[in-house]
Amino acid sequence: MSQLYGGKILWIDLSSGAVITKDTSGYARNYIGGRGINARIMYENVGPQTDALGPQNIIAFGTGPLSGTLFPGCSRTDVMCKSPVTNLIANANVGGDWAAELKYAGFDHVVLTGRAEHPVYLSVRNDIVELKDARHLWGGTTWDTQRTIKAELSDPEVKVLCIGPAGENMSTFATVHSNVGNSASRTGVGAVLGSKNVKALAVRGTGGVAVADPDAFFEACVAAHDTIKGADYYEELATLGVVQAEYAYVLSGIEAGSDAHDGVRDLDPQGTTDYPAFWKEYGHKRTGCMGCPVHCMENYDVPGHGSAVMSCELYTQLTWEVRNFDMHLLYDLVKQCMLMGIDNTSTATMIQFVMQLYDLGIIDESLTDGIRMEWGSKEAIHGALNAMVLRNTEFGDVLAQGMKATAEYFDSRVPSERRGGTSTYEHAMQVNNNPMYGINPRMNAMALGYAIGRRSDCITDLDTNQFDTITAPIYPGWTEEHRLAEVEYNYQTARDLTGLQNAGDPESLEGKAQIVHDMGIHTGLSDMAGTCKWHTKWLFLDLRPEHYAKALTAGLGREVSEDDLLRASLRMRHVERALECKMGRRRENDTIPAKEFGKPVSRGLWKGKLGVTREQLEGMKDEYYTLRGWDLETGVPTAATLHEFGLDDIASDLAERGILPGWTGEDFGR
Amino acid sequence: MVGDPFTRDDGNGMKLTDSASAGTSGRAPSVLHVDAEKCTGCRNCEIACSLANRSECNPVRARVYVVRNQKDGHISTVPVVCRQCRDALCMKMCPAKALRRDTTTAAVIVDADRCLGCRTCVEVCPFGAPAVDYRTGKADKCDLCNGDPTCVKFCSQGALSFVSAEDESFQRKRAMVSGYVEYLAGDAAVGI
Repeated sequence: MSQLYGGKILWIDLSSGAVITKDTSGYARNYIGGRGINARIMYENVGPQTDALGPQNIIAFGTGPLSGTLFPGCSRTDVMCKSPVTNLIANANVGGDWAAELKYAGFDHVVLTGRAEHPVYLSVRNDIVELKDARHLWGGTTWDTQRTIKAELSDPEVKVLCIGPAGENMSTFATVHSNVGNSASRTGVGAVLGSKNVKALAVRGTGGVAVADPDAFFEACVAAHDTIKGADYYEELATLGVVQAEYAYVLSGIEAGSDAHDGVRDLDPQGTTDYPAFWKEYGHKRTGCMGCPVHCMENYDVPGHGSAVMSCELYTQLTWEVRNFDMHLLYDLVKQCMLMGIDNTSTATMIQFVMQLYDLGIIDESLTDGIRMEWGSKEAIHGALNAMVLRNTEFGDVLAQGMKATAEYFDSRVPSERRGGTSTYEHAMQVNNNPMYGINPRMNAMALGYAIGRRSDCITDLDTNQFDTITAPIYPGWTEEHRLAEVEYNYQTARDLTGLQNAGDPESLEGKAQIVHDMGIHTGLSDMAGTCKWHTKWLFLDLRPEHYAKALTAGLGREVSEDDLLRASLRMRHVERALECKMGRRRENDTIPAKEFGKPVSRGLWKGKLGVTREQLEGMKDEYYTLRGWDLETGVPTAATLHEFGLDDIASDLAERGILPGWTGEDFGR
Repeated sequence: MVGDPFTRDDGNGMKLTDSASAGTSGRAPSVLHVDAEKCTGCRNCEIACSLANRSECNPVRARVYVVRNQKDGHISTVPVVCRQCRDALCMKMCPAKALRRDTTTAAVIVDADRCLGCRTCVEVCPFGAPAVDYRTGKADKCDLCNGDPTCVKFCSQGALSFVSAEDESFQRKRAMVSGYVEYLAGDAAVGI
């Protein structure tokens, strides 16, 4: 066992059953861990020709050096592969306690290649690594699968990542699930695991994580915990979670915002989507991932509907996006998504897409397996969800392949005049075919976040201060004074970062690129360290690069500076970007749906305001690419940038492919 | 009383819970109190314990463990700690007399030099609190960190607290009744 690291990468070829290990150390200095090492492994192993659902795709599960330690939020596993949704990078992050357990077993990463002959699950107990028959587990829900595996391994302490029926059926929005509600959800990682015939990864480790200087490491972790607990937002987050915040987002008009919602004039026609009230009525406990003082998950027992957890965006997706105002129905749907192992976000946005087309009269039930896709219909939402998971009807099979496939299916069956002469894809809320969050892209920085996001979504490049500025004036439970102070705080934060007076103004374009650029670096840092990005300034909990640097220095017994970390985070992003460009992504792919341009927010507090035009987005992209060192014309990292970050081998590879900007024919020494 | 492990160390075990032996506070020695309803399952107690006492992050070597159960969507998390029993079976049954009661903290502590690693303490403890450490081969259990438990400091929700044995049950009574008071007071229950 090496300091802070398990020390080994477990590399398994499922086709042959061959198990090898590689040293983590070769990657660790430049890429730290987690998403950083995953990105490097991906660059070396997948490309434009890789079939996302074929055996040549690889899927990597990565922990970081701070996973499993006393550093707050030590629970994160970063999952990366080529995406069946975007055909670019798939990347999702899952908490719980699996990451820590893998570290305790002596491994930092698990990489799976090939395809098993029949369903298997991986069992790791310290250095004993086995592929076990999982044919009897096939078809099981995520919760049943965990229970059965723990029972048959006779060890309730085993930690399990698994897929549900959606992953088995390679529904492109399938997740990798753990515990209750811990889920690597976005961009189809569950489908890739299903394509490899892997039902689960079960891990038990007893080895612990070594630290070079226990006292100094302890001190560094205490400082980090104290910083989180001392943050202004901590108290509310730790007691109410994000229930109240989500409610404020809806009231502000920036959640679940799109064309599909223009028709919803009344915020809450039946007065039933009061999330704080639902929490008060049925919530019984808060739980969280390993190592977390925030515990963001709300635990519910709802009579007649059983137990489950909810958090964050779950409240606003299968409600507002599909005009469902029944909290009990939402609860059932959230639970169903967890059990089946399918992404809530994508499911909601997919169903919204179909309901929108149905509402406009472009499609009818002859194309939806007889399901009347009316807004808010319980039968329609359940029907479409189950069809997507099981793929047992033509409609379900098409939905499961994603927005583009669905649009093509409709286009081929609906006469052009009924579609207004355009493709039904024009109605899809997607970026590179990835269904968008409920978060409104009509906010300046959010549009940029969506456009340049690492996996074609905005979440790591979210300008949360802007979000908060928009929401604070309507925040429930706060005094007017508190609200004003919050807005001022956000303005000041933006000013401090950019030196620009109006950078905090949601309606200004000033400084937005720099804020998004900076946020991406910070969230990348936690993704590399194997900890939770919620603890950074992303959610106002204030963990800064210095906290990570101190803990890593003490734990590794060698100096790790803030600058090293920030550079590593940028390096990781350049590798990801280079990989995406290798797979075909260019500047023109960095965008939001055309229909969203130039439209203000359609309801709520900000009704009639905000909205970003195509020219404005292109302007922000120019600024952003310049800050990143990416080519303005193509969006590909330049030779100079790659060289500066020690990525000459990648520059060389891009040059050979003829896509390296600024390449003047020099030899990169390969 | 010769051979009785409880009284053999200093012959005055009962005095440990006398206020006279608890220093200037006038309180009995504090105990590690568990309120499982408040536990969020974060396991910081385990990691902090192992780092403070074993110089590594390793729940297997921690002296506190959060037992997690998951039944369908219902999660329960219950921290299991040493109760520092008044009539401690581990102490009574240890054939090597390697366990004794600390006169200041009232914790049952292990004398590693005496310990045989025979696992008797593990077997007789009804709570599974002691363990024979797999690296040292010696019994290991909670010593209340010499009266300042690290786990408590890392419990953000107060599921673990360190309170005087005298006060423990009163805190519990008040917590239990608070909901009642709210119910009885009806709309007047402001500020409870």
